[in-house]
Amino acid sequence: MDAIFVFEQLLNGLGYGLMLFLIAAGLTLVFGIMDTMNLAHGSLYMAGAYVAARVHEASGAFALAVLVAVGVTVAIAAVAEFLVIRRLYRRDHLVQVLATFGIILIADDAVKAIWGVAPLLASTPAALAGPVALLEGLPYPSYRLLLIGAGLTVALGLHLLVNKTRIGMLVRAGASNRQMAEHMGVRVGGVFAFVFALGAALAALAGALMAPISAVQIGMGEAILIPALVVIVIGGIGSVRGAFVAALLVGMVDTAGRAFLPPALRAVLPPSVAADLGPALAGIAMYVLMAAVLTLKPAGLFPARG
Amino acid sequence: MSLFTAEGLVKRFGGLLATDHVDLAVDAGEIHALIGPNGAGKSTLVNLISGLLPADAGRIVLDGVDLTVLAPHARTRAGLARCFQITSVFRNDSVRDNLLLAVQAQAGSSFRCLSRRDAEHALQERAEALAQRAGLAEVLERNAGTLPHGLQKRLDLALALAARPKLLLLDEPMAGMGPEDSQQMVGLIRSLRRETAILLIEHDMDAVFQLADRISVLVYGKVLTSGDAAHVKGHAEVQAVYLGTEVAT
Amino acid sequence: MLEPTSQGASSAPCAAAAVTHARFPGLARRLPWLVLALLAAFPLLAPAFGLEYYVGFVRRVLIVAIAATSLNFILGYGGMAALGHAGFIGVGAYTVVALVEAGFSSAWLAWGSAALVAGLAAAAIGAVSLRTRGVYFIMITLAFAQMLYYLAVSLRTWGGDDGYGLYTPLELGAWLDGAHAQVFYWVVLAIAAAVFALFSRVAHSRYGHALRGIRDNEMRMVALGYPVYGLKLAGFVAAGAVAGLAGGLLASHNAFVSPSIMHWTQSALLLVMVMLGGAGRRWGAPLGVALWLTLEEVLKLYTDYWHWPLGLLLLLVVFHAPQGVAALLERRGGREGAR
Repeated sequence: MDAIFVFEQLLNGLGYGLMLFLIAAGLTLVFGIMDTMNLAHGSLYMAGAYVAARVHEASGAFALAVLVAVGVTVAIAAVAEFLVIRRLYRRDHLVQVLATFGIILIADDAVKAIWGVAPLLASTPAALAGPVALLEGLPYPSYRLLLIGAGLTVALGLHLLVNKTRIGMLVRAGASNRQMAEHMGVRVGGVFAFVFALGAALAALAGALMAPISAVQIGMGEAILIPALVVIVIGGIGSVRGAFVAALLVGMVDTAGRAFLPPALRAVLPPSVAADLGPALAGIAMYVLMAAVLTLKPAGLFPARG
Repeated sequence: MSLFTAEGLVKRFGGLLATDHVDLAVDAGEIHALIGPNGAGKSTLVNLISGLLPADAGRIVLDGVDLTVLAPHARTRAGLARCFQITSVFRNDSVRDNLLLAVQAQAGSSFRCLSRRDAEHALQERAEALAQRAGLAEVLERNAGTLPHGLQKRLDLALALAARPKLLLLDEPMAGMGPEDSQQMVGLIRSLRRETAILLIEHDMDAVFQLADRISVLVYGKVLTSGDAAHVKGHAEVQAVYLGTEVAT
Repeated sequence: MLEPTSQGASSAPCAAAAVTHARFPGLARRLPWLVLALLAAFPLLAPAFGLEYYVGFVRRVLIVAIAATSLNFILGYGGMAALGHAGFIGVGAYTVVALVEAGFSSAWLAWGSAALVAGLAAAAIGAVSLRTRGVYFIMITLAFAQMLYYLAVSLRTWGGDDGYGLYTPLELGAWLDGAHAQVFYWVVLAIAAAVFALFSRVAHSRYGHALRGIRDNEMRMVALGYPVYGLKLAGFVAAGAVAGLAGGLLASHNAFVSPSIMHWTQSALLLVMVMLGGAGRRWGAPLGVALWLTLEEVLKLYTDYWHWPLGLLLLLVVFHAPQGVAALLERRGGREGAR
């Protein structure tokens, strides 16, 4: 285990963390402002991945594919918001779980009907297929660098949007004090719809960007949803900054756990035990992190509400 | 020796000192009223005493038992019961079920899980006696949430009484009541004097002067002064902070 | 071809029970026995109607209903929205695996241990989780279940990701033939009936009333002097143990255990079935499970796309019967039935 390997894993962790942030940002805002637990957020991520993969395959233009994926997903989200989600805002969390679980079931079948059950193989854009030598002895896939760049850009954009614009002010006000958000009267519905669409766009972007380096398949939304929920709970529900910090933490912990724990255990434990324990601990790492954070700070690292 | 003493209670919220080294005593059989302008920290103090908020410093003793280290529910078992400013009853249950639940907490274990509770005659009798005591006998089978405000307040009080408290904390029992309901509540509270000492937080000055043996004035988290009605009425500083600027000069 | 409508053997009587419970109190008292008798006779009657296959199906419904009943107890009566209940099912199932791997073959030992170990796991998990509230409770119970899931995935001695086959049926004892499908069915039925009766009884006990009080107004319960945390923990442990028992039975039923039985979607599904039936309603859990699994089974006969109608059903329930099907039936049956 040399410095190059460690550095490479840190970059992988950063990339994964940034993608988690894209998904968690929308989730935490919807949760924080509308107090709505949307399990179907992962389905938007799935939609983004599928649309991007097919458009890229058909057109060969990756940027176009990402744009179309975001557009289509936002349109789907708008319909879902209008038909279902907006009727859930004032309901019990469990009812929200029930309804959005129903949406997951419908979404999975829709994907199956349109694209079939077999996983799609999404290709990396040709221009970014090769590695880049970041340092001497460290070739790093250029596509993964794009992920990191895109993730950081969006995070910065989101930071400016939330902190420097009028709509961002309304969003923040809503997350820290929902009653005040409700007192804002007619605008509330619009802010809710905007936030939901924004969350959908970010989830779709993450799906589109992750498609070439992950399995595009039914169930991918449910698989990413749980780490995203872990992120927003660690970060503090409703806090974009918290989601950013927590996403990077979870990304790093998860990647580092998978990369470093098994070899570290092999060094100190009998091989058979290490082989069992390594992957288990790696998979568990982020949940342990969450349990630890909640024990010390029950409302997450950056509680949005005072 | 007082029945109840609180010494040096402190509670900070961030930089705000909500409770500033408060000393308070209630004697057996006494009704001790706590008054003060909005934001003086009365509700915080009630929550510190009942344990719903942890105190940053100080000591609370009831009848020789140090309550400071006890969890809120254990404080109730040690003889300290409370009502809530915002009426806190089980709205979807009948008055009878409300009272049964309150009575059950004091009589034997609530981990009993095989025999039917409603078949326990002792509990039913206690619940009915409480209803009688609080003037709720007529509405025993009604859902608590459908009762008029005055009756809900009385139910809230009856729930606290079920604990057979040594000290009863009443957090604005007259809040939101019309004059008629208020007078009935005053009568009810007065009739409790023989059973329990009372720490009464109330905005209704008529009620306070009718009921209280002693009055303490809380301002900015501090006890400004303590004494009988005449003492408090005549206290210049109290007039200044409590009654506003009109008397201040 | 089989008549799909006749598979509702377990769901129809339950629904009827909820209806009559409100309309004819006398019949309501007898109906659970009628349901029990019908279910007990089912393996004997099934061959006459060509429904042998569905004996296994009803057995699975019964096992899942045991787990759902335990979840309904803490969710519906205790207000604890645990999103990790499948984790306890998994602990129970893997306890059976561990005992079989160690050479034990007694079913009673295996299932008893499943309940015990799952109860211990629930005690540890509940002790931490019950210090949190609301969404954080949902999330932390989920997190613990995920930990158990990953633990199972990585334990290669017990099959890891591929699962573990239980090739010889567990032994039920001298005069019960564990390998006999019908005997196992009756054993499951007896256990399910006992669990259901037990929880129904507990609901009306002091403990059951206290638990509902906590659900409705926790702060008042504290002020009344109730040891709220201890009461909740006791319920959580009991529910975990019963879920573990269901897990042990499920291991025997499937003759196979894999980590997927404690995937988070299984926990969500259990919640969904309880809410579909009616959380906090006596018949909520069995009704929800029977309805959901029957629909699933029927839909699978006709189409590969059997998820979306169920999804649609959930949306319908949310907007038109938020208290669950049991409540809907109670209302149809006349006045609002007793909870």
